[in-house]
Amino acid sequence: MADVRQLHQSLQASVQARDYTTAAQTMSQLKLALLEHNALIPSSEVPIKVLEAAREILETGALVSIHLHDHEAFSRYYAQLQPFYADSELNKSPSRNQNKIIGLYLLLLLTKQDISEFHTVLELLEGYDDDVHVRYPVMLERWLMEGSYDKVWQATKSSHVPSDEYGLFTETLIESIRDEIATCSEKAYPSLPIQNAKQLLFLDSEGAVVKFVQSRNGWEVKDSVIYFSQEEADNTALSSLNVIDNTIRYAQELETIV
Amino acid sequence: MRDDGPRDAKQAVTGDSGDGGEKKDDEKKEEDPVVAAVNEIKGAQTLLERAATLFDARYTLRVLRSISSLRRKITPEILAQIVNDYYPTGQESAEYILSTIGQSDSRMEIDNNNDGSKRPTEVLPEYDVYLHLLVQVFLLDQKEYQRGAEFSTKLVEKVHKLNRRTLDALASKVYFYYARFHELLGCPHLVSIRPQLLASLRTATLRKDIDLQATLITLLLRNYLATSDVQQAEQLVQKTKFPESAPNNLIARCNYYLGKIKAIQLEYTGALQELTSATRKAPQSAAAVGFLQAAHKLKIVVELLMGDIPDRSIFREPRLAKALHPYFLLVRAVRVGELDAFFEALNTNAAVFKKDGLYSLVMRLRQNVIKTGIRMMSLTYSRISLRDICVRLGLESEESAEYVVAKAIRDGVIDATINHEKGYMQSKENIDVYATQLPQEQFHERIAFCMALHNDSVKAMRFPMNQHRLELKNAQEARERERELAKEIQDGEIDEDEAGGDFEGL
Repeated sequence: MADVRQLHQSLQASVQARDYTTAAQTMSQLKLALLEHNALIPSSEVPIKVLEAAREILETGALVSIHLHDHEAFSRYYAQLQPFYADSELNKSPSRNQNKIIGLYLLLLLTKQDISEFHTVLELLEGYDDDVHVRYPVMLERWLMEGSYDKVWQATKSSHVPSDEYGLFTETLIESIRDEIATCSEKAYPSLPIQNAKQLLFLDSEGAVVKFVQSRNGWEVKDSVIYFSQEEADNTALSSLNVIDNTIRYAQELETIV
Repeated sequence: MRDDGPRDAKQAVTGDSGDGGEKKDDEKKEEDPVVAAVNEIKGAQTLLERAATLFDARYTLRVLRSISSLRRKITPEILAQIVNDYYPTGQESAEYILSTIGQSDSRMEIDNNNDGSKRPTEVLPEYDVYLHLLVQVFLLDQKEYQRGAEFSTKLVEKVHKLNRRTLDALASKVYFYYARFHELLGCPHLVSIRPQLLASLRTATLRKDIDLQATLITLLLRNYLATSDVQQAEQLVQKTKFPESAPNNLIARCNYYLGKIKAIQLEYTGALQELTSATRKAPQSAAAVGFLQAAHKLKIVVELLMGDIPDRSIFREPRLAKALHPYFLLVRAVRVGELDAFFEALNTNAAVFKKDGLYSLVMRLRQNVIKTGIRMMSLTYSRISLRDICVRLGLESEESAEYVVAKAIRDGVIDATINHEKGYMQSKENIDVYATQLPQEQFHERIAFCMALHNDSVKAMRFPMNQHRLELKNAQEARERERELAKEIQDGEIDEDEAGGDFEGL
């Protein structure tokens, strides 16, 4: 157990020094050490103290991987932590970081636009309204769904973020809402002055707007007004194919009946 | 064989069959309900024996159906009497049953009474399991959950080892109560039975035991959903195939769970389909009211989430009206698109929604309320300022309103444009619905449903065994007749006109 404790201390030291690369290296050693103690999966044979330490180490690992922008590693840590959170013995002294980790996972799912998984995880949580870490992604999801993008924008400002790990998602989030707003604008406005577009898209300067316009298909700038190409979907051709398809199927069915 | 059916049923009810008659004189001294119950259980024995020898599941089903009426009459004394009568002395399971229901000391006494009656030397597994099942039901009714769970665990182990096709229907009942006991005991017990259920599911699948397979899948789904393990439930659904020929009740139950999983994962269309067939397939009798209520609740929420307004007649149905009232308020709020009314309905009934496990789903409705609100405004006004929209929807700022409206336009909720400089929303002219594809899609949906219904009913038809051989024979004869006829025509003995009628049938 001594080796684990020693490694754990050096892990904490490097996390405090914000040296996440070293921390990640220590983590891989630690995981091996934990494996030797049979503590990577909670079981009744392993002393509870060891399991608590293991849980803390894995949580630290998860946070480290967030800082390193390694989202896959974070998902793995999250999956590994699940049995620890479900264990009834361990839940007598619940981890302080549990809600933080879950909240971060929810946020990750949100940025990946995996909404169905998001709700699946949410269903597992009870009384999440009280916790600031879980509440944050939940509120973000609600605003995103109803379209209050300005609230999302405000929430991503550093003063509203529950902890610095959450701040790391800000960029991805803003990019994805900007994308959403752009697709909405295409449909909602016939044209839009660049000045207004700057506000709407949360961009800093008009130059950034012009740059953004160039990255989109079918957007044109004339006299500092953006014109959106109005594409009318040609439904009629598609529908005739549909009708034929359906009618043939009816005929087939009728044939089996008669 | 088939003609015997109704007469057996009568015998079972009056208890006049086989050895029941021999003991009739002894039992007449006791009160009537006891005699009736004892005789009914004994009648079940005959039916089960027949089921075992003839491999006909219908006899077993008849026995299982009678349990619901029987369970009200069961007392430990009756069970003890039956057990003492049936099992050969020294049989292990007899001792076990008696000690479970607390009647172990009465053994000797009753033994003396029945010395004359003949005892089967071998125990029929079906009847053995049936008696155990009765004990399970009895313990459940007595609310002896702990003892029931222990008893069921042992019973399940026993049933798991037996490999008899005639046991299938009984075994599924046994598992049902097994899971029920553990569910009533709460969380750690609930989780602990999963391995056993999964192992049994594997065995059942290998043995092509359709009844048990269907029962176990529904039990597992229920188990997972009870602890909100949606992901595991979903994986189970993906990895297994629910038997199509399962009993209707089980299909309805499975549909309900699938609907719930899909609703949580935002697949509303799929969820609605599952729930519609769940409510349609569920038995409409009084016993299934609880299920119907639960299914309707979920269905209402899913319909609302899809942007539809549920049929008002559902809320008027006497059996559902009371349970659905909170949902009715919810529907009303969503229909008019008022956020205040929605939150009022939500807050006053939060406890109900939480109890039904639908709170998180109901929470998702907020955006629907907003969308409906926007749609109402777009229909009413040809032009409305963003400021007014903001006030009416109870949103915090005009900017929010602008984004929300833009998103509604993108999602196809309304057909309108926004004028940013002047800050208003301009609705486009209403288009004629009949010029679009919508009516056709609706028709298609209905036709598809009718077709599926027809196909299902064809599949559900039952034919008497071996009847086709008879028909084959008939067909053979008919063909021979035709051939003769054709030959005769060729020979020119019959006029063309006369034979015409027969040929149309060819």
